[in-house]
Amino acid sequence: MARPALSRIFAELSTPKPSFTGFVSESTIRSASNLASRFMCSSAQQPQSSHEEKANEEKPESVKEKLEIEDEEEEEDGDHVNKETGEVGGPKGPEPTRYGDWERNGRCYDF
Amino acid sequence: MAAASIAYVGGQLQYGVNFCRGQSFRQADWLPGLTVNGCLQRELSWSYGVSKFLQIHRCKFSQSPASENWKSFRTLTTSAYLRDGSTKYFDFAVIGSGIAGLRYALEVAKQGTVAVITKAEPHESNTNYAQGGVSAVLCPSDSVESHMQDTIVAGAYLCDEETVKVVCTEGPDRIRELIAMGASFDHGEDGNLHLAREGGHSHHRIVHAADMTGREIERALLEAVVNDPNIVVFKHHFAIDLLTSQDGSETVCHGVDALNTETQEVVRFISKVTLLASGGAGHIYPSTTNPLVATGDGMAMAHRAQAVISNMEFVQFHPTALADEGLPIKPKKARENAFLITEAVRGDGGILYNLSMERFMPLYDERAELAPRDVVARSIDDQLKKRNEKYVLLDISHKPREKILSHFPNIASECLRHGLDITRQPIPVVPAAHYMCGGVRAGLQGETNVRGLYVAGEVACTGLHGANRLASNSLLEALVFARRAVQPSIDHMKGSSSDLSASNMWTRPVVPKSLGTDVTNKILRATKEVRKELQSIMWKYVGIVRSTTRLQAAEQKIGELEAKWETYLFEHGWQRTMVALDACELRNLFCCAKLVVSSALARHESRGLHYTTDFPHLEESKRLPTVIFPSAHMMSTWSSRQLHQQSMY
Repeated sequence: MARPALSRIFAELSTPKPSFTGFVSESTIRSASNLASRFMCSSAQQPQSSHEEKANEEKPESVKEKLEIEDEEEEEDGDHVNKETGEVGGPKGPEPTRYGDWERNGRCYDF
Repeated sequence: MAAASIAYVGGQLQYGVNFCRGQSFRQADWLPGLTVNGCLQRELSWSYGVSKFLQIHRCKFSQSPASENWKSFRTLTTSAYLRDGSTKYFDFAVIGSGIAGLRYALEVAKQGTVAVITKAEPHESNTNYAQGGVSAVLCPSDSVESHMQDTIVAGAYLCDEETVKVVCTEGPDRIRELIAMGASFDHGEDGNLHLAREGGHSHHRIVHAADMTGREIERALLEAVVNDPNIVVFKHHFAIDLLTSQDGSETVCHGVDALNTETQEVVRFISKVTLLASGGAGHIYPSTTNPLVATGDGMAMAHRAQAVISNMEFVQFHPTALADEGLPIKPKKARENAFLITEAVRGDGGILYNLSMERFMPLYDERAELAPRDVVARSIDDQLKKRNEKYVLLDISHKPREKILSHFPNIASECLRHGLDITRQPIPVVPAAHYMCGGVRAGLQGETNVRGLYVAGEVACTGLHGANRLASNSLLEALVFARRAVQPSIDHMKGSSSDLSASNMWTRPVVPKSLGTDVTNKILRATKEVRKELQSIMWKYVGIVRSTTRLQAAEQKIGELEAKWETYLFEHGWQRTMVALDACELRNLFCCAKLVVSSALARHESRGLHYTTDFPHLEESKRLPTVIFPSAHMMSTWSSRQLHQQSMY
């Protein structure tokens, strides 16, 4: 427990640990995935297809069922097209937000 | 000049009153016995020789006697200064290299020289870990009003409506600019941006780049920054304290002292304008999604520099982060940021148990595991505190193995690496701190009550998030406010004259070389232990379910711990102007922790992220921001004073 260690540190002189090092960031830079070529954001006047809207508004249960039936093929990075939503270069597999948070393969990245 | 100062500060506080306007409250309730104007005249005289007060909104109102003997900086004689390498002069100083800092830097660089000061590698920021998306109204069937409404509902009606309107209105243009700068977002086959719909949003409006929106935005902005001849990035420069002076009743910011952690040299930055974009403070808690750099440096520096802080009680937790303590094979190195388990596990039928294998959710909510995330978070927290345990269990093993592995491969592999098979055993989970809704109080232009100091991003409290942040609104807030702070900054910069002798006005921080490696190692070890203890106190007493007793206990324990640590430092020869990364980070963590505790104690209701068993309901009359003014605190700890003020005491 931290408390006894603290008391020990405060009360006694203790043997020093070797090498004081300054902060070093250990994180590695993971390269960004290869995304499709950039598009300027089109004007707001162009509506998204209603089909796309409907597909994204499916309830989680039916999405789950769909996933059990569908078998999404892995395509090359950057060229992947989501069959349901028409999204290019997006996350493969089930819709990340289908349960409200942003998840990939079980890990939640945003909420 | 004095009138202008008061008006300026008044503008700030007037904004604060607008915050509450239209909501039923009486001004007299806001600061006990004082109207805002009266407050300005009497309480906000910042000039030297007059004591300052710690004023906790709606709560304790303590006054300390006017006993300080401030030297007026105006009368300090300045000998010929040395324009050496350890002082740098820039038009703009930006502290932090996340989305807010970089976005701002790119804009102001068109008008002047910019220093971006960042404590680690430039990409090491909360932005980089924000992997969901950024919200904006980009679909014709969507509307600003809808985005506003979603934001205000999520914020438990504590948001500032004007701020919400500004952010939701200006968001789409900010996204378009990002794209023009080279950020690549996912689009549909028809060429339109693909918009996802996240929890709490009534429309599809989340712009994203596959899984790594934050990283993509960071990448694009950094590339532009690196290529900008007017911007110099000082990485591995840890900001220590803002350099401030008094101009009548107003505090003015002139720059910042920093420690180059690679060379162990102190660098002084003198700038006409300073933007604080230093991000969050997740590491006041033991379990957090934030990278290690998030130690609340900006909030602490601002508080020490007399900036007003707001809404610090609203800390967002995620209920189910993978609890390393519960893994059979513990990670060799402490995980830097928490691995969050998605809601989908519960949505797919995962059951929560305490360590006695009791299913506890039905005790708290009839929806059991399918209750809203905040309810689940509170329930888990309550169980952990009541039972004095470190984690609970999330069990999905009753589901078919193939489904588990196909839906949650990332969780499966991460757990398997540590000896746990989630198709057979429950997953150990514990809540993790994720986002600070509060921070340095900002006006609509990102201005603070300190002249020349602007804030943007998570370090700021703009009024957008209120009592709880809506998903994907934080990157948006950073973008909008970074942009809004630009013109006022430029105007301010143009109106400032370079006072090249200014650099010697403040005592310089020093590195503790004179102590020798033995002592510095001892101090480092003690500092690391104290940090863990502080985090433990915060989690135990200032977690998700709070109470007055626990908060008061936290206040006391943190005070004692801080005193012990500081005594230890000084007994080992540490001088008040000495700086080292770990010590300075801990100093900031103490400061932020105390701000959170004070704010939590001040709110006598439960709203959004702040839940207290002593006031478990919403109180309409309390639908007000929590505001902390700076003070000449009677207990002047090392963490609560700017380094260059230490010698005053």
